[in-house]
Amino acid sequence: MDVEAARLIGAGLAMIGTIGAGAGIGIVVSGAVQGMARNPDAAGNVQTNMILGIAFAEAVAIYCLVVALIILFV
Amino acid sequence: MDNSKKHRILGIPNRYYVLACIILGAVAAYVFYYPVLPHVQMPSEAYPGTLLFTLPVIGEFYWTNTLTAIVIVDILLIIMAWAVRRAAKSGELVPKGFSGALEALLEAIHNMTEDTAGKWTKAIFPFFATITLLVLLVNWMELIPGVDSIGYIVPMEHKGTPIKEVLPGFFTLLSERDVAKYGSEVIGGEHEGYGLVAFVRVASTDLNFTVALALISVVMTQVLGFKSLGWSYFTKYINVKTLFTVPIFGVIDFGVGLLEIISEFSKILSFSFRLFGNIFAGSVLLFVIGTLVPVFAQSIFLLLEFFIGAIQALIFGLLTMIFMSLAVAGHGDHGEEAAH
Repeated sequence: MDVEAARLIGAGLAMIGTIGAGAGIGIVVSGAVQGMARNPDAAGNVQTNMILGIAFAEAVAIYCLVVALIILFV
Repeated sequence: MDNSKKHRILGIPNRYYVLACIILGAVAAYVFYYPVLPHVQMPSEAYPGTLLFTLPVIGEFYWTNTLTAIVIVDILLIIMAWAVRRAAKSGELVPKGFSGALEALLEAIHNMTEDTAGKWTKAIFPFFATITLLVLLVNWMELIPGVDSIGYIVPMEHKGTPIKEVLPGFFTLLSERDVAKYGSEVIGGEHEGYGLVAFVRVASTDLNFTVALALISVVMTQVLGFKSLGWSYFTKYINVKTLFTVPIFGVIDFGVGLLEIISEFSKILSFSFRLFGNIFAGSVLLFVIGTLVPVFAQSIFLLLEFFIGAIQALIFGLLTMIFMSLAVAGHGDHGEEAAH
């Protein structure tokens, strides 16, 4: 196989990992919104923690992205 | 219909300027030069011929375009600090304009720190505020026209693009469509290509910057933890407290402590890759969208980048603050928190 083609396929495969991060972010936000609906007073606190949780889940997706970028551009 | 004076320049409503810019962009892109996808390179590019010094093991040091960006941001931050200082000294209780906006941001950050860190606010707030402001300005630099797109034209070994002289001494990269169009004026060709080394490139697209910030954040977390708890801080990592008294769980606690050491290193990794990945992917996205649809489409993605830049800056600072307040609080009490 051509090296360039293998690179492109590899970058695409690396991005499969983002599926998990997407599901994770969905779960985090779902939980946070339910919490906010039940207890609107705690909305600010919940929101901060939600963003934090999203950041952690997103970090995994970003690792995939960095791997894909390294494959493509280095 | 819109009579307010604020939305007018020289008596003409602002929307006509926007319309004029769109038409100008369309004419420039379709009649003169079609945008080119620049050669994307992950390490920052050095200015040609600026070898600063050479170290024995590490290697050569060049003045890179991300270094210029960080110097510009530093100067901006100093000007901001000076403006706020002047506003604070003027004696007005409610600062106006720019310093007022900055005060609102800093107050929000301060309240957030106070809620989490309590009596350690004074020690932790400076890190949170500094990191947030620095990363915010660095990220928003991506939105300025000319960043990433104006620079030196240098010969490249492969994947180069032909160029054409626009004005005496000024060159532009040519797309495939324009190569056929301009014919004999084109410089370079199949084997002889040129690339762009931008004068300024967003500093967060350089791993050196993000790793440096992550190292500062994680190392200072340890320093603050040590300051707060003394030598007992390190029992978080080498946990011998229960190793000989509690039969099996002591060993597990010891293992968990060793895992904490690894998690500190993974923090550096995740801090730096999160910021780098977001902003680098953002700038690549802007390049690609600009090449696919030269006019108007990029504006929408600039808005997206505006939000991503702000959120990443806040998250970098927020996580630093939270790790620091966990470190100073001591492992004893947050272990209890986890139990109930």
